[in-house]
Amino acid sequence: MIMLLNFALFRIMPGDPAQLMTPHKPLVSDYLYWRNVEKMGLNDTWPEQLGKYFYQTFTGNWGVSFTYERPVIEVMGDAVTWSLLLLGVSSILTFAGGMALGKIAARRRGKALDVSITGFGLFFYGMPIFWFGIVLMVIFVAQLHWFPAALPITSGVKPFPLTADKVWDISLHMVLPAITLTVGSIAGIVLIMRNSLVDVLTEDYITTAYAKGLSEKEVMKRHASPNARLPMVTTIAMDTAFILGGAFQVEWVFSYRGIGWETITAIEYKDYPMLQFIFLIGGVAVVIANLLADLILVKLDPRVEII
Amino acid sequence: MVFTPISPILADKVALSGKNAGRTLDLFLKTWMGRIGLAIILFFVIVALVAQFLMPPAIGSADRRMLPSSEHLFGTDQDGKDIFSRIAHGTGASLTIGFVAMAISMGLGTLVGLASGYWGGWRDEVIMRVNDVFLSIPWLVLMIVIAAIWGSQSIGSVIVVIGLTGWSTTARIVRSQVLSLKERQFVERAKAIGSGEWHIIRRHIFPNVVPLIFANAILTIAISILSESTLSFLGLGPQNVETWGRILENAYDEGVALIPGRSLFILMPGICIVTVVLGFTFIGYAMDEVLNPKLRRR
Repeated sequence: MIMLLNFALFRIMPGDPAQLMTPHKPLVSDYLYWRNVEKMGLNDTWPEQLGKYFYQTFTGNWGVSFTYERPVIEVMGDAVTWSLLLLGVSSILTFAGGMALGKIAARRRGKALDVSITGFGLFFYGMPIFWFGIVLMVIFVAQLHWFPAALPITSGVKPFPLTADKVWDISLHMVLPAITLTVGSIAGIVLIMRNSLVDVLTEDYITTAYAKGLSEKEVMKRHASPNARLPMVTTIAMDTAFILGGAFQVEWVFSYRGIGWETITAIEYKDYPMLQFIFLIGGVAVVIANLLADLILVKLDPRVEII
Repeated sequence: MVFTPISPILADKVALSGKNAGRTLDLFLKTWMGRIGLAIILFFVIVALVAQFLMPPAIGSADRRMLPSSEHLFGTDQDGKDIFSRIAHGTGASLTIGFVAMAISMGLGTLVGLASGYWGGWRDEVIMRVNDVFLSIPWLVLMIVIAAIWGSQSIGSVIVVIGLTGWSTTARIVRSQVLSLKERQFVERAKAIGSGEWHIIRRHIFPNVVPLIFANAILTIAISILSESTLSFLGLGPQNVETWGRILENAYDEGVALIPGRSLFILMPGICIVTVVLGFTFIGYAMDEVLNPKLRRR
């Protein structure tokens, strides 16, 4: 399946340049245009391009970005770091918070707490994440607190001379994007967790457990949660795609220069080397994520065997 | 009929057939979610119709970039069009896009699921692998890629793009249902008396799949509307129709978020989107409860 994914990815990519080829003309004279075309390597026939691409990929030559005129790896290296930061913080909050809230809601189903938690879940589930980010911007930036801009202030050199000031600065910049992404993603998790748990709680063996005299806490911990977690894991694995989509939007709205932002910008400027690299990484990441999910599932469910 | 086996699933199928539809609707309206959801959607449909036939199209005649006033409820945009009017007109477009995209998505998904499940064998494997590819790619990336390839400048293209992004889940659900149905006795009996393949699919398998995907379909409309707004917001939306997503796109480009007083420009379309999606979600949940007896216990 990994093979198939990789091939699919490569097949999709040549599709892009085909369509996006013509519009690339902010240049004046024909000569300049063709020179650029040559430089971008688009002048070769398709099989040649494809061949070059395969070769370069496996030898580590990712090419130079059209817009930045810097090697793609450099640009993406920075972007990846920022994205990981945002996604990391966000994911932890989302999953931990989501599962906790889902559990609480399931335990007190029907009562006020459940209704309000589920209500919030439903409300934020359908909210366009980018819009939510903008709303937060309207509220919190009009109060002059958190900045909506990129990561540290532009003048500060990238983080590696890492000082306390910079850490504070970065954190400040990250608050709104992180909140947006977390809230946007948590709704789905809460709902799934709650439903899954409620499903489990109506099963007979739960009643048996109570009849045996186990306390609620014990029942939850030893019988309900483990079984509820199974469908959760598979769904979360599929949901990662959704969260990623959200991350893209958040980065775009807040001009947070992570992978998502770079991707969208690259698409606007038809920056093929960037796009190729991004999709390659994306494909690999997805495969890895799915593998991880499968592994976790194997660990959690004693009934599943590795195929 | 010679054979009318009763199964829990067939009970659902019966729920949607003609004479029982009334009772289903009744049950549906008994749920608070169903009522509110339906009310919301009806409201917006009415707004769309009213806007289409009664309100003048928003033309750039007034002053540009004005703050909300009694004349322009939400202010005007960068071309001088009244924002309130734009939103009203956008209702129809957004709803239509959502609905048609859902139709494409569900249609494609169902067909693929039916075929894959029924044929089985290597064809099934191949189709499912392809499906997995679609499922694994983050929807936003997938949508952007398809938009780049197919083009999303016109409303038709946008609908196709969104439709192509969402068929995978449906296919999977349909396929698993078909797989379990295939083994049932009534299919075996139908084959025994020599029913053709299409006949079996059409009269036995398909009707049992419909209730399952019905609620799914409603939710897909909501997701389609969201997808369209996201696409438009990123600049990849239809250029020839007025949709909520495009209003948001303009609003964002104007930097309205940070200009006090003009924030309605960006807040209102968003609120509309959220409300509509909420409406569909409620309807979807209510339908799910009604059609799936297992859930009613809760």
